[in-house]
Order: sequence, then C-alpha cells, then structure tokens
Amino acid sequence: MLRIYRRMWQVNWAEQWQYRANLVMYILYWIVQPIIYIAVWTSIASARGSVSGLTANDFITYYMTMLIVDQLTSEVVIYIFAYKIQDGTLSGELIRPVHPILTNTLMNNIAFKGLTTFVLLPVWTVLFVLFQPNFASVTTANILLTVPAVILGFTVNFMLSATIACIAFWTTRVWALYRLYGVPFALFSGQFVPLQLMPKIIEDIAIYLPFQLFKYFPTQLILGKLSNEEIWRGYTMDIFWLIIALILFRWAWRKGVKQYSAVGA
Amino acid sequence: MHFLRLIATFLKVNLQMSLAYRSEAMIEILLDLIWLGWELLSIKIIFSNTTTLGGWGQGELITLLGVLLMVNTFMAALIWPNTENFNTAVRDGSLDYTLLQPVNSMFLVTFSRITVWRIGDLIIAIILITVGINMAGEVTTPLNVLTFVLLTISGANVIYSLWIVLIAFTFWFTKFDNNVTILQALADTGHYPATIYPFWLRFIVTFIISIALATTIPVQALRGELNWVQILTFLGVSIVSVVVASQVWRFGIKLYSSASS
Repeated sequence: MLRIYRRMWQVNWAEQWQYRANLVMYILYWIVQPIIYIAVWTSIASARGSVSGLTANDFITYYMTMLIVDQLTSEVVIYIFAYKIQDGTLSGELIRPVHPILTNTLMNNIAFKGLTTFVLLPVWTVLFVLFQPNFASVTTANILLTVPAVILGFTVNFMLSATIACIAFWTTRVWALYRLYGVPFALFSGQFVPLQLMPKIIEDIAIYLPFQLFKYFPTQLILGKLSNEEIWRGYTMDIFWLIIALILFRWAWRKGVKQYSAVGA
Repeated sequence: MHFLRLIATFLKVNLQMSLAYRSEAMIEILLDLIWLGWELLSIKIIFSNTTTLGGWGQGELITLLGVLLMVNTFMAALIWPNTENFNTAVRDGSLDYTLLQPVNSMFLVTFSRITVWRIGDLIIAIILITVGINMAGEVTTPLNVLTFVLLTISGANVIYSLWIVLIAFTFWFTKFDNNVTILQALADTGHYPATIYPFWLRFIVTFIISIALATTIPVQALRGELNWVQILTFLGVSIVSVVVASQVWRFGIKLYSSASS
C-alpha cells in the first residue's frame, strides 16, 4: 500500500510541476482576501484602540496565521474529481484495485499543497516585512498542539468535499452546489473575522459545525487564544465530524459508483 | 450605427443561446442573491464594531457595493465569457474567422459573447446605490451625480482597456490562459474604500490594476470629495488608456500566426 502511495505521489508531483505558472496566479487569488481584511480591521482597530478587546496586531497575526493554516487544511478535490466523473476519465481509475479518491486524488491534493508552499513562503515573508506582526503569543507547545488539529482539519475538509464531489455522479450542476458550499465557509469558518466578532447566534452555531475546524480553531490554537475547555471542545468536534464525514463519503461513493455512466468512454 | 446594429444582433444570438440553459441561469441568479445577502451581512458586522471605516459610513459602503456590483456585472456579462471565447479561439486557431470579417477585430472580440441575463444585476446595483445614498443622508447635487456617472463609465473604460492589454499579451506568450486572473483576484478590493489600504496596495489598485478607478473614485465623486482637476485627470486617463489599449491590440494582432492548419 505504501508503495502505491509513493508512486501516486511521484506521478502527481511531476504533474503539478507542469502547472507551476498557474500557481503564481492561484496564490495571488489566495492572498488578496486576507490582505483586504487586515487593512479593514487594522484601520478600525487603530482608530479606536481596539475592537472588542482585539488590537491591530491581533488582527494581523490572525489573518497571517490563517493564511498558513488555510494552505494546510484546504483541498482541491472538486476541481479534479468532479471533472473526472463528468468527462468519463474516472473509468480508467475505477478498474484499478485501489480507491481513486483515497489514493490518486488525495496524493494530487498533497502534491498541490507541496508546490503552493514554495510560492506561499516568499509571499508570506514579504507580508511579514510589510505588516511587521508580533507573534509573541506563539509557543512551541501551541504549535505542537496544533499539528493534530491541522491534520484532522484537512481530513474532515477533504472527506466532506469528496462527498460533495460525489454528487457529480447524479447531477451536472455540482459547480453551483460548490458555490453554495462556500456560503457556510463565509459564515462559520472565521475567515472573515475571528468568530467572537460575528453576531452571537452565528458564533454559537459555528462552534458545532465543521467549518471552523479548518480555519478558526487551528489558527487560534497556534496563537494561544483558546482556553483548555475550548481546545477540548475543538478536538471533540474534530473527531465527531471526522466520523460523520467518513460515513457520508462512504455512503455517497457506494451509491454514486453504481450510478456512474462513464460518459465519453 | 453599424456597430449598434451588430451589438443588437449579438444580443439576439446570445439570448437564444442562453435560453437553452434557463435553469442554469436561475440557479446562478439565486446564488448571486445569497452571496449578496452575505456581502450585506459582512457590512453589518463591520459596522456593529465601528461607526466609520476610513471616514466612510455604512450607507457609503452599501453604495460602494452597488457600484462594485455594476463593475462585476460588466465583467460577468461581457469580459469573462469573451475571455474564455478568445482563449479558445487563439488555441485552436478559430480566431482566423474573426480576423477575416470586415469589422474591427477588437470590437468582435469584445462583444461576441454576452451573458444576457446578467444584465438584471444592474437593477439590484441601482437599488443598492440609491438605498446607500439615502442611508448616508448626504446631500447629493445633480452635478455630483453627473460626475459619478461619468467617472463610473470612465472607470469601466479603464478596466476594459486593461483587459484588452491583458488578453493581447496572449499574442506574445501563446500559452497564457491565466491572462485575466489578476483582474479577478483584485476585484475583491473594490468592496472597501481604497483609502484604507496600505500605500502599496492602494497604488496597485489605482494605477496598475485599476479597480479603484471604477469603484472608490466614483463614490468619492458622489460624496463631492473630488475637485475639478482630479475629475478631469481621471477622465483623461480613461481616454488615454483606451487609445493605448487599441494600439497594443493592433501590434499584438500582427504577431498572430494562427494555430494548426
């Protein structure tokens, strides 16, 4: 099994290198939003001293840490996998004795991450120089404590998106669905503001949903902003949603493959 | 007159094409409305924590959102579909047919695809602008409204010129499918007044990828913050950019050597 993963990694890594020019553009897409949010909230925080106890530096460190967390926990399943279902190229992968999503697609995602890291690092360094954040609250213990949260976050995110990608077995409108899937991210993941600045009701719902596990939870964990109780709750949610995501994916995959009509093949 | 007739024909053809995808259009409209709801909520969240953002109030940000929606409509209805069309045409060589026609090629490349139903977004944009102005409670003179309209058009003109230059680059570096990503990526900066951005970003969105010229600047005109020299400069920039863009296009098209055959 390990050999299969190694091979898949080599293939996907080489494949990703073909698209290195696209990557620069892709990363640009990625960093503009955090920069905008940093500008908005530092402008407000420095005009008023602080926003609900958060200083300008709190906002800068929040968005800059999230940039890294997001890079680690995000996934590109739908772009690759839904296409494969729609144009029928999945057929070739289905006859192999390994699971297409859990081997090929997974390795493709990780290879993509590996390559984007090369671009993100210099960009992040430039942002560091420009915004001069103070990361004093980050300790080694916090970082170690965040590692499992990042891995779990990526796994849950990957499995949930893979479930949604499976909907492409039934409908061709999976892209619209994916755009809709972006809405709970905007509301509940903490990508716009730290959750405590959201309306109370949204904050209360968000802690029970998976979306904050991909962004808000690991970010605040690294920055040492969470109480022990909150850390426990976060990890409990991680495990809970991991189980839910695995069940959902297993179900959608089994039903979906039966539905698969191998278009174009 | 000739060009107007051609645009009317393009509209008709594209309307017929989009009628085949009615349910897709309905879903897209619904999604747009949901996202608009989120945009408004995000403004509300910002102003539950502050009273001004770089001197702008809630009403002004809603006006700005309306203007940005107009710019986005312009892009979604015209620029993105034609970019896709153009990139395919360069890749498979079908641009030949465009060039052979007895009409200005830049014109054809700009108008051959129109996502007709997107035009409905303009109504929402106008509602947002009106509501925003009322909320801000500012006294807008007819003169301010006139400069606002003029500067919005000229801002869109600058973005259009930039787009022409970006896609014309394809003639130099054949494999350049990402030609407009930078425009898409920076469009988000239009949500907030450019004045709050750090100097380097403000510089980029004003002078290089000029999103601010079509968003922040017109709203500033509406608030009466611009003097005559500034207004005339922006109008001048708009005219110059169209001239430059059409020259770049002319040079680029000479390099085009067709694909395949």
